[in-house]
Amino acid sequence: MNRTNIRSRGIARMALALLSGLALSAQAQTVLIKDAKIVTLTDQGTLESADLLVRNGRIEQIADRLGDLSADLIIDGRGKVVTPGLIAPSSELGLTEISAAASTNDGAVQDTSIGAGFDPSVAYNPRSTLIPFNRAGGLTQAVVVPGSEEKIFAGQGFAIRLTGDFDSIIGTGLVQKVYFGEYGAQLAGGSRARAYEQIESALEDAVEYAGNREAIRKGEWRDLDFSIADLEALQPLIRGEQPLLISANRASDILQVLALGKKYNLKLIVQGAAEGWMVADQLAAARVPVVIDALGNSPDAFEKLGARLDNAALMQKAGVIVAISGPGYAGSHNSYLSRQGAGNAVAYGLPYEEGVKAISANVATIFGLEGGVLAPGSRADLVLWSGDPLEVTSFAELVLIDGKPQSLVNRSTRLRDRYLHPQAGTGHGYKLK
Amino acid sequence: MQFTLNSNTIARRAMGAAGGALLVAALVSCGGDKQKENDGPDFSRQSAFPSTYKAEEAAPVLIRGATVLTGTGEQLTNADILLRDGKIAAIGERLKAPKKGIVVEGAGKWVTPGIIDVHSHLGDYPAPSIESSQDGNEMTSPNTAQVWAEHSVWTQDPQFALALAGGVTTLQILPGSANLFGGRGVTLKNVPGRSVQDMKFPGAPYGLKMACGENPKRVYGDKGTLPSTRMGNVAGYRQAWIDAAAYRHKWDEYKKNGGEAPDRDLQLETLAGVLNGEILVHNHCYRGEEMAIMMDVAKEFGFQITAFHHAVEAYKVADLLAENNVCAAVWADWWGFKHEAFDMTEANLAIIDQAKACGMIHSDSEIGIQHLNEETAKAMVAGQRAGFAIEPRHAVAWMTLNPAKALGIDEVTGSLEKGKMADLVVWSGNPFSVYSKAEKVFIDGNLMYDRSNPERQPYSDFELGIMDAEGERLSESRVKGQGGAQ
Repeated sequence: MNRTNIRSRGIARMALALLSGLALSAQAQTVLIKDAKIVTLTDQGTLESADLLVRNGRIEQIADRLGDLSADLIIDGRGKVVTPGLIAPSSELGLTEISAAASTNDGAVQDTSIGAGFDPSVAYNPRSTLIPFNRAGGLTQAVVVPGSEEKIFAGQGFAIRLTGDFDSIIGTGLVQKVYFGEYGAQLAGGSRARAYEQIESALEDAVEYAGNREAIRKGEWRDLDFSIADLEALQPLIRGEQPLLISANRASDILQVLALGKKYNLKLIVQGAAEGWMVADQLAAARVPVVIDALGNSPDAFEKLGARLDNAALMQKAGVIVAISGPGYAGSHNSYLSRQGAGNAVAYGLPYEEGVKAISANVATIFGLEGGVLAPGSRADLVLWSGDPLEVTSFAELVLIDGKPQSLVNRSTRLRDRYLHPQAGTGHGYKLK
Repeated sequence: MQFTLNSNTIARRAMGAAGGALLVAALVSCGGDKQKENDGPDFSRQSAFPSTYKAEEAAPVLIRGATVLTGTGEQLTNADILLRDGKIAAIGERLKAPKKGIVVEGAGKWVTPGIIDVHSHLGDYPAPSIESSQDGNEMTSPNTAQVWAEHSVWTQDPQFALALAGGVTTLQILPGSANLFGGRGVTLKNVPGRSVQDMKFPGAPYGLKMACGENPKRVYGDKGTLPSTRMGNVAGYRQAWIDAAAYRHKWDEYKKNGGEAPDRDLQLETLAGVLNGEILVHNHCYRGEEMAIMMDVAKEFGFQITAFHHAVEAYKVADLLAENNVCAAVWADWWGFKHEAFDMTEANLAIIDQAKACGMIHSDSEIGIQHLNEETAKAMVAGQRAGFAIEPRHAVAWMTLNPAKALGIDEVTGSLEKGKMADLVVWSGNPFSVYSKAEKVFIDGNLMYDRSNPERQPYSDFELGIMDAEGERLSESRVKGQGGAQ
């Protein structure tokens, strides 16, 4: 079979895959992408025109030219770009459907008896409409984190793959989420100092619990402020096995968090970090990564007076590992817009590949997830983009999770197709495709 | 060009005012085919808080050899634009450089009209956002048509400067959406001002903010008063319009027959101003069904809705919008934050546009307002993916001329045409690229923002001595060696 034929076959199959969605995708065992720009995010760097072969859910080869291999799905990647699948560093995917409808939200609880022990993974709904929409935007994995409206300990985060499958949770107890800064102060009773004290007190209790577990469980110990469930949940944290995802924006708050981390030997991730650039050297020295909203440049809080669009660039330059979340205003519904944030960060000085890393590889590194790079042997979570993935005018043409092409159909495209030519009357209600 | 922009008929009339003659625009809505001669009483009160904005005298400017999106459907390559006396004096090839003045080399750069945001709360919800600065939503009665957003505007909001750096030259500040009638909006030029009058767009008509759906019924339902349902909302609108019609009639009778002057009522004045066609209706309304109902309410009482805002479901009723000459202001992709925002499609703006209704992008956000070019780009690509041949030369009007229409100022700004205000942006590249930046922003021919010159970047009072007692927030001195501010 000559090259041209492979291409046309590839295009035909591609079209078929897009049309029939999951029908073909479940069958595709081998996927060959030819002549695409490949952003590996490994030592292999970015290949301007190369081939990538996926077999049995793994990337088998990436090379300038793989030759005429046969594959179930062959795609002409000319003019297109392949990156690792995007990973959301913080979202409520599967825990929320409509933010303002309480019955559809499982991310926060009003119950003072639990804090650190709260594990919302039981409430996760893989069939949420947010999942196919974000998947169509190139998101293949996400960290899901609870929120809190009553106390600074929100609970534990978990990770998902955006397949929509019932078994798509890939790890629970991934992080502890705690609020510091303005919101933490508000939840703690009005002062950052009280929030800090509450975190320390919980950590002290957790240490005390670790050394006296049996007595405490039998009730032969002094009353501790936290429940057994919470103290159990804090054990991986104080052992330094589980990261603490802690929100802080003001530079002085970040320094306090670093001091806390040092004192208790915690594995920290700072979320927010609007003024992170001011203490970038300290963050880098402490090897503490950050999760930021790269578009958040408004001084819309006194703790964010130093917010600026080159925050990511300045921190990365100082050696901080930066992850970029979707913009704050977009919420979990548009988590995939992290790529717009990354694009803006690049426009304001972040090196290009670092921009792609900030929405994929760095997130995997920070949260200990598999994926985020394109390398032989690695799990085939990847996206073929119509062009530069950080451009708002580009879009995902093919999304593979575990090597399987995913449907890119979602409510947005279904509604679009039904109303492309709106008409008066009732007819539209029957136009099913 | 696939769509036609009905030119707004701006009827300018000289009106005696205490300080002398003042030009005001009395005009109607998007499309503006329903102009009314108004010899009646002055309900719009344009002269009560008059614009004191006066463009500085500007030296001529020649922008040479740029790619130009005119906003009227044209993309010109290697074009020159001459700005003189605050107006666009000429657009063409090889224009002569002015003897005195500025020449901007446009090679590789793009020029668009200044971006216009029809929906902003800057100044009313300023940064920093603290309890005492929440001045945008008078949540004390379902009808607060008597309040005016301009009376809340904190002109020192540092977010105006951020919007300017994003290419925004004009913006409408609206009251919030808690109420059926939230009050009057005001259109501002994005220039520094000690008073809000220093920013007011000369002659721009007032807007009345109305809100459908979840917000008013929630706010007042929670208080145990009408409205607590969507039907309660509609009853509230209709009753108010009945009262307004009676008020207007009373004044018309007085004007005709004399006698004792009726008492003034601020709330009814605003509504009567709408009935007279002087004040434009900007209606927060998400759902297709509700937009259809609101257009019927407008017919029942004889007024025009200028634009639906946050019109997430506009694509479902795009033909009705076109038929009724109502614009739709939308986001590119926001959804799911409430039930009425659940049926989002990214092709919304494109479908509205293809149905020949007037569609536009809007922000309602201090962050979004800085990236309206990117938001327009996303909406454009969603349209292309839906199969419509939409190009930048067409889509640019979604952030320039169409919002100008909705604000009733499209005869003077919103596109690059000879004689219009010289409100424009020089971009570092294609404005629909995430990497492009507004390099220079001109308002009335004045360079109000220059990315390469900190002296041409406004700093509000708020930014002085904050974070650094001897500098400005994020000033060069503070961050030297670490790249520019913004």
